[in-house]
Amino acid sequence: AADKINLIPQDFFAELCEQIIQHLNHKIPGVDTAELCQRIQTSGIEINVGDLAKIADVVSFLFSTAARNSLSTEELVTTLGNAVTALPKHAVQVIRHVWNEHGKSISVSEDARNMATLGQFVDIKWKLGVAMSSDTCRSLKYPYVTVMLKVADPSGQITDKSFEMTIPQFKNFFRQFKEMAAVLETV
Amino acid sequence: MAASELTPQPLEGSKPLSALLNGIAQAAYYGNADITEELLRGQLYPESASEEFRALRAKMGGLLQSIASADMDLNQLEAFLTAQTKKQGGITSDQAAVIAKFWKNHRIKIHESLINQSCWDNILKNMNWRVDLKSQSRHVDQINTPVALVEMELGKNGQESEFLCLEFDEAKVSQMLKKLSEIEESMTLLTQTT
Repeated sequence: AADKINLIPQDFFAELCEQIIQHLNHKIPGVDTAELCQRIQTSGIEINVGDLAKIADVVSFLFSTAARNSLSTEELVTTLGNAVTALPKHAVQVIRHVWNEHGKSISVSEDARNMATLGQFVDIKWKLGVAMSSDTCRSLKYPYVTVMLKVADPSGQITDKSFEMTIPQFKNFFRQFKEMAAVLETV
Repeated sequence: MAASELTPQPLEGSKPLSALLNGIAQAAYYGNADITEELLRGQLYPESASEEFRALRAKMGGLLQSIASADMDLNQLEAFLTAQTKKQGGITSDQAAVIAKFWKNHRIKIHESLINQSCWDNILKNMNWRVDLKSQSRHVDQINTPVALVEMELGKNGQESEFLCLEFDEAKVSQMLKKLSEIEESMTLLTQTT
């Protein structure tokens, strides 16, 4: 992963580190690697989501370990230098700066071990369409909704999951959430 | 199968034709690959020659395909079948009656099958949920708050599923409900205008 960090421009790497810190501080549910990756790609850099996710994992682990051991900025940079020789200068600069600003604020208690084993729902996007016809049926004419769930997995990565529902399937989906709300209220 | 169904009937008999249409639908729309032409001939038209039966099966299959593709309503069906009875090498009015009865009984199911066949993206195959009381948490203020645990089975038709397990607190469920209401509103508008 270290050699891929070379590809990321400083400002994007800084953004990534900031998001990771915010996630560790429970301010945001996770790091939106897909969205960040898209912007990096648009700027002309060839990096894929998988690589960016790996880098995010590494940096997240670095910060949370440093927080647990209450490392000072210099200690962190030294440890970094010992562990990863190929880190580009600008990356070390960013890490140093971010840790200086926010290192103390990361509260790491036993909850680092009690991490959620389930994903967190972040957001839902939707689109309603009508399938008019197909090669096997000229008169399909059925409406369906495509849903995109933004989900933060336990490690803090945000991913998109999409799926389709026909009207009856959607009605059932809606009904289940209404039931959920009713139960949550009464508990 | 009842004894009477085993008795060879003339090719225009209604019971075998109805069963033939069923067999064709099984293979084409209900995914039953075991219903072969040979099986159908042996069971329904054992007296007929291979070639003769093949022609009949092709003709009936073609008619059913046209009807299903257009998802014909009763008016369209009647017009279509009447035209077929008047054609050279078409069908008899008895056969038309059998086909009409078959379509009335199977239209919805066959249409649903065609819908499924043209859905190539992930679908929600199943969904389970329960509500727990959080007793341990990363935030003290979250203890003893109820949380919904939802398991969604996502995947493409006929392919392996992915199980998505998500946590929803009351606020997240509200957020979801709000968006789902938006979808419902749009759906209502859509079905009103079509």
